[in-house]
Amino acid sequence: MNTTSNSSSFHRPIASDCQPGQRFYVRVLRQDGPRKRRYWQRFALEYEADMNCISVLQRIAENPRTDDGRDVAPVAWECNCLEEVCGACTMLINGWVRQACTALVAQLLQDRPGEIELRPMTKFPVLRDLVVDRSRIFAILEKILAWVPVDSYYDLGPGPRQSQEAQQMAYLYSKCMSCGCCLEACPQFLKIELEYREGETPEAYNARLRTANMRAYIGSHAIAQVELFNSNPIGAMNATERLDALVAEGGIQVCGNSQNCVRVCPKGIPLTTAIARAGRAATRHIFRKWFDR
Amino acid sequence: MQRPDPASIFGRYEFLVRRLHSLIGLLPVGAFLFIHFVTNFSILDGPATFQMRVDQIHSLGPITLPVVEWSCILLPIVAHALIGLIIVARGKRNLLYYRYARNFRYTFQRWTGVVAFAFIAWHVFDTRGWIQESWWVAHVTHPLGGGTFDAARAAATATASVQASGWVAAAYLVGVLACVYHLANGVWTMGITWGAWTSPAAQRWATMLCAAVGLGLAVMGLGALWGMATTVIR
Ligand code: SF4
Ligand code: SF4
Ligand code: FES
Repeated sequence: MNTTSNSSSFHRPIASDCQPGQRFYVRVLRQDGPRKRRYWQRFALEYEADMNCISVLQRIAENPRTDDGRDVAPVAWECNCLEEVCGACTMLINGWVRQACTALVAQLLQDRPGEIELRPMTKFPVLRDLVVDRSRIFAILEKILAWVPVDSYYDLGPGPRQSQEAQQMAYLYSKCMSCGCCLEACPQFLKIELEYREGETPEAYNARLRTANMRAYIGSHAIAQVELFNSNPIGAMNATERLDALVAEGGIQVCGNSQNCVRVCPKGIPLTTAIARAGRAATRHIFRKWFDR
Repeated sequence: MQRPDPASIFGRYEFLVRRLHSLIGLLPVGAFLFIHFVTNFSILDGPATFQMRVDQIHSLGPITLPVVEWSCILLPIVAHALIGLIIVARGKRNLLYYRYARNFRYTFQRWTGVVAFAFIAWHVFDTRGWIQESWWVAHVTHPLGGGTFDAARAAATATASVQASGWVAAAYLVGVLACVYHLANGVWTMGITWGAWTSPAAQRWATMLCAAVGLGLAVMGLGALWGMATTVIR
């Protein structure tokens, strides 16, 4: 099983001589609210042992003063698990899309001495500073039915057995944390950011946003999830619905095979294998739709 | 459970359009490119052989030939190109940020597609004038210097159009190579799109296969071009 990934390069040993107390700078691309002007600010920090980008942001929050001595509003960011399994802290760090909680300062300073650059992701609307609205990802998962519908009124007994091989493949796909790295790097996945129209109600706005989300490209994370749930013996009972979503507008056909996604996925998910397998399934599905009914 | 919203008009056919685009790139467009190269390569066997090949094609007859040309060559190329331009417009290339070989191939696929389309449009006008209708020929093709190819004097007119100037020869070189890359790399992505090669190992093998196909096509295309550029007809 090939798990092409750059996680090995993320998590390589650090040969840095970063000393506690050593000064370094952090440049942050800030934005006060949705669609507001963007601007850079630089902060000076002192290195502490085992520092990562979340602790950097915590230090800035404790003392939000730029390196030229101005007191500013603290930088906003999101995090949750602090162990690269929730995806909430995804941002562009030195131009790389990755999780802030596992981006070690010593390593970043080794690659680019003196300064670390933090930017919000570019494919999702910025809410504030480094916080983006990734709800589109979850709308997509809804579109492709990324779950196994079981009604739990009564005990159905144990499910069918799965082969070791199927389990291993499913495990790889199940590691997806919906972080959006694959979407950020995808040249076919474009940002959707709507504005309220004159006199538009929140309901109308949300409906419009939902339609836009449903029509645009789903991305390779979702294609891998179709593979995951269609390979599950119980999930396979809804395979047709998922394949219908896969070939609907914004489906797998939008992929241009640049394979950036597989290179940036922090979980090493075999996304391009999923794309090709799902492409094969889509081919079969469309022929079956035409000739088998 | 909420179902996906109804698609837009384009969206309802998006999958079919994209798969059709993928398919006609190979059949008939790619197949035609191969035949075209093989035909023109024969100039290296002498003007008489080339003339014979052209006569073979024209032996289809004055009604059959245009029908085949329009249905199997012109319209598929135009359809492939127009859908392709939409695809280019709907992507946001990011090679500067993600400098991976496959991303370079993705980006180059789009560039060569656009270049090939511009080249083919010019090439077909220059040699055939797009439309063979007499008003068009008199008022558009000839005033603009197009339609230089004459099937009865195939070798003389074909070589003359390549040898028109150094710029023209250079345009042919770029155009031929763009078509070759676009086809060879297109076969590779087609294999993923339709699900022929799925694993990373299979895709690596397919890369080599497509590189070999591309190399073979390049030899044919450049050989034909070389023959057209160097053959002197008295
Ligand atoms: S496939 Fe990888 S990069 Fe994409 S959302 Fe899942 S974990 Fe993140
Ligand atoms: S292979 Fe497809 S999904 Fe992955 S980055 Fe390229 S276009 Fe996007
Ligand atoms: S906080 Fe969960 S991935 Fe970083």
